[in-house]
Amino acid sequence: MLSVLIWVPILGAVIIGCLPESMVATRSRQVALAVATGLLGWSLYLSSQFHLSEPGLQFQEGLPWIESLGLTYQLGVDGLSLPLVLINSLLSWLAIYSSDGQIHRPRFYYILLLILNGAVAGAFMSQNLLLFFLFFELELIPLYLVIAIWGGARRGYAAMKFLIYTAVSGVLILATFFGLSLLSGSSTFDYAVLQEHTLPLSTQLVLLITLLIGFGIKIPVVPLHTWLPDAHVEAPTPASVLLAGVLLKLGTYGMLRFGLQLFPEAWRVIAPGLATLAVVSVLYGSFAAIAQTDMKKIVAYSSVGHMGYILLAAAAATPLSLLGAIAQMISHGLISALLFLGVGAVYAKTGTRDINVLRGLLSPERGLPLIGSLMIVGAMASAGIPGMMGFVAEFIVYRSSFEVFPVQTLLSMVGTGLTAVYFLIMINKVFFGRLPDSLANLPRVRWHDRVPAMIVTVLIVFLGLQPSWMTRWSQTTAVALVEDRLNRSTTTFAEVRSVPSDPDWLSLQLTGSESPKRPIH
Amino acid sequence: MNQLLFQTSWWVPVYGLAGALLTLPWSVGLVRRTGPRPAAYFNILMTILALVHSGLVLWAVWDLPPERLLVPWLSLPGFDIWLTFVTSRTSVGAVFVITGLSLLAQVFALGYLEKDWALARFYALMGFFEGAMTGIALSDSLFLSYALLEMLTLSTYLLVGFWYAQPLVVTAARDAFLTKRVGDLLLLMGVVTLSTLAGSLDFTHLDQWVKVANLSPLTATLLGLALLAGPTGKCAIFPLNLWLDEAMEGPNPASILRNSVVVACGAYVLIKLQPVLALSPIALNTLMILGAMTAVGASLVSIAQIDIKRTLSHSTSAYLGLVFLAVGTQQDEVALLFLLTHGIAKALLFMSIGSIILTTSTQDLTEMGGLASRMPATTSAFVVGSLATVGVLPLGCFWAMLAWSDGVWFKAPELIGILLVVNGLTAFNLTRVFGLVFWGKPQPKTRRAPEVMWLMALPMVFLTVLTLLLPLLFWRWQILPSWSEVNPILVGLLLLSGLLGCGLAGWIYLNPRITKPVSLVGKSVREVLAYDFCIDRLYKLSVVLGVVQGSRLTAWLDRYVVDGLVNFVGVASIFSGESLKYTISGQSRNYLLTLFVGVLLALTLLSWTHWGWSL
Repeated sequence: MLSVLIWVPILGAVIIGCLPESMVATRSRQVALAVATGLLGWSLYLSSQFHLSEPGLQFQEGLPWIESLGLTYQLGVDGLSLPLVLINSLLSWLAIYSSDGQIHRPRFYYILLLILNGAVAGAFMSQNLLLFFLFFELELIPLYLVIAIWGGARRGYAAMKFLIYTAVSGVLILATFFGLSLLSGSSTFDYAVLQEHTLPLSTQLVLLITLLIGFGIKIPVVPLHTWLPDAHVEAPTPASVLLAGVLLKLGTYGMLRFGLQLFPEAWRVIAPGLATLAVVSVLYGSFAAIAQTDMKKIVAYSSVGHMGYILLAAAAATPLSLLGAIAQMISHGLISALLFLGVGAVYAKTGTRDINVLRGLLSPERGLPLIGSLMIVGAMASAGIPGMMGFVAEFIVYRSSFEVFPVQTLLSMVGTGLTAVYFLIMINKVFFGRLPDSLANLPRVRWHDRVPAMIVTVLIVFLGLQPSWMTRWSQTTAVALVEDRLNRSTTTFAEVRSVPSDPDWLSLQLTGSESPKRPIH
Repeated sequence: MNQLLFQTSWWVPVYGLAGALLTLPWSVGLVRRTGPRPAAYFNILMTILALVHSGLVLWAVWDLPPERLLVPWLSLPGFDIWLTFVTSRTSVGAVFVITGLSLLAQVFALGYLEKDWALARFYALMGFFEGAMTGIALSDSLFLSYALLEMLTLSTYLLVGFWYAQPLVVTAARDAFLTKRVGDLLLLMGVVTLSTLAGSLDFTHLDQWVKVANLSPLTATLLGLALLAGPTGKCAIFPLNLWLDEAMEGPNPASILRNSVVVACGAYVLIKLQPVLALSPIALNTLMILGAMTAVGASLVSIAQIDIKRTLSHSTSAYLGLVFLAVGTQQDEVALLFLLTHGIAKALLFMSIGSIILTTSTQDLTEMGGLASRMPATTSAFVVGSLATVGVLPLGCFWAMLAWSDGVWFKAPELIGILLVVNGLTAFNLTRVFGLVFWGKPQPKTRRAPEVMWLMALPMVFLTVLTLLLPLLFWRWQILPSWSEVNPILVGLLLLSGLLGCGLAGWIYLNPRITKPVSLVGKSVREVLAYDFCIDRLYKLSVVLGVVQGSRLTAWLDRYVVDGLVNFVGVASIFSGESLKYTISGQSRNYLLTLFVGVLLALTLLSWTHWGWSL
């Protein structure tokens, strides 16, 4: 069942590749869209068959592949990966739908998008470390090509930077996987098998830090982030949507799945450091976003900031915070997709993304009023205004992380305030004010430009009002993940680091007084 | 029947939101053929429904004790969020007042914004506004209240930015959002902390919790200050007060609500949070100090304004300062009464100045004069509103002020001085405005000034009558003290302060022999007051400076250090490759030499470490 999500897009890519030359221009898009629609439907069907109360992996598939290497074709989804698989299908559909119909070299373009979709789905579903790595690397190629071929003026630089960074990330991840497999003395890369092994703490630490640098590049965590703004700025809109919406989540997914789960004790040791790093990411990304003048760069830096919340929640590693991390992944995926779609529409119509040039685009007659309104919704959702899913996710993250890291949580909350600052600057400059003459004759906005953003907006608002539709997929898994971790790390639980579970820890830390009694609960 | 009404009380906020949502096709310009009117009518219909519904619920719950309604919203491992509503005389009464004023403002807007192309958008935002406010009134959960306060921030932003093509509006909307956001952010920190400490965010639960809460003084203080920040921003209390002044760039019908009930929403939440604030004496003192500073300062500032809307908006801040003082002295009932009387009086004042602005097309007090005989309904609305705002015997705010001062009479008599000053200054200011607008000789812009059309006059006259009848209602509800309880000294002082302010201003501004503008104080003082004590400079030197410098520094770091390092590595590797290629000479002896030297170096290095040689 899960294989469909990997092989159907590849099959679709092959079909597009075999299309006769005369049909390429029109049919490539149609085939890609049909495949993407099918995949979206299939993932929706899978989620309808998903048992919410089951903590373990579902729809498992296993085939031996290269046994001597320990590589098996093991697939499965749980509450952590299923939402991401769904988001991948949805955003891929949107990316293909919103692609320019007149794009040059359509055959190659749609082939790459479909391969990207399959590879990402594969990475989210792999239960074998080596298989994950293969998909993780596979995803890199189409995206590199999309940026390098259909990108903006400095696409060569950006694509190369992206490639080198992500390749380094891949190498580090692979090194960790090898190290883990060798040191634990097993000859397999099977996730379930490796999970059972416990390595000495120092070994764990070395491996975990290597792994985290690898995934940290992908997330990206400050200071490993500089590839992201460049890649976003040069990438075409659909690639930006996929990059921000799905590909960054590979980093956080990997961090949770392989970092947190395979190295429980070491995680506990470095968690405070991670939380601090999360604060740095949040504040750094937000401050940097304020200083930007390119709309895409603003959104890109906002991604750096918002991915920091996921890191914070992951560091806290309580059931609630893991749920918050998953929720933040989904919400960031949708919200950044909306923002990039909006920026893409503005760029397509006006030819610039400079906030000092654009003005008054909300004008009802000659501007882009609907796109502008949707951008306002996206900005507000990103700034954590209630009624939209950004708020729910962030609130869960804050509420849960506060119990473990109160100071870091409070500091990173400043990030939501700063988010409001940079998005308000952008909206005020770009959409408010009087439309200048130079922008008065914009091309017509068609429904084709609006529909993707509208779909995402509806989802953002709906899930903001009815968040249990978002959280219910992952609840059981989040609880199970933490319980499982605690069971396996009882040996070194106490001596490594005492997690402050007392809610009055803040006061304790700030005043140095004796811990007051816990109030009624 | 009662049960049904009670069960459905949470629908009331939904009406406004539904109206806003269902008219979206008109507001975003998807439906153009019908014009924006259907959207306006639909929203008005929704408000009428909300009004009728809340009226029925009010009638049903009038004699009943408060009842809570729990709606499960989100259930997470170890953390449940319920949306709790409380239906009591107070909460449903507040809803009734809000929907009533919202209806009047919306009818008023039909006239005021008659020719505005974005009428539908305005009504959608008003529906949103109303939904959020009624939700706050009904909410019994800090979580829900916080969420709705944020929605108010958003809709304030959009309403202030309604005429977004004007440059002043753009900055005003931004400032309104960001100023409130500062408060909201601190409030959110408080909410998260409180949620962790207390376990539940229901106000009912919090009331219980504070009795057993055992917090260290520092935690309690920080928590109290964080919780205080939200209402401070919402109620336009110093230091987060400037947005209200700037928000006057928005359309007037929204200002009616903003100055009467929106600011009251912040105070309403503050009243509910008061027990938690009381855990920390410092937080409570801060509340009092901020309230007192705002009350006096904003009253002074309002006198120095020449913009008719801004002068009244500063007086709103001043009155909310008094409400803060009432909350600080733990007089919740008085605070609520004050919010009600002030809200209605202010709404009336804003309606009347709305008609003035529409008719004269100016907001500048110095360009007006002589409107009294030309606009009788507007004049009477202004007079009644003014009388109800300052403590004049039978009208609304008098009773609130009396109860207010009665409450602090023994506890903190010095506070009565503040009340008297505010009352006197407000009386002075309102008389000044009256003198400048309605009295004196007509000026070019006020010469042809007919009374406004019926759509605006009707709600205005209705509210005038209601303001006059309000004391009667108080008497029916037995809120008024009996004569034996009334402190005659306080009554005398109140009346005297009002009379003094009124008389002084009347002597100056109603007197045709004194030339306007009048210089009562030195130029520097006047300018400081006219520029709101230069609070914007305070913002610029604190928060704005921090953010701007922080972002500059980060951008510099990002560009030259982080990215610079990366690019340096890239350039260095390309450069070394490029330069090394010139060593490729094709002569094998050179290669052999290189190889030999390299091996020698490597061996030396290895043996060095191996034998532990040191330099």
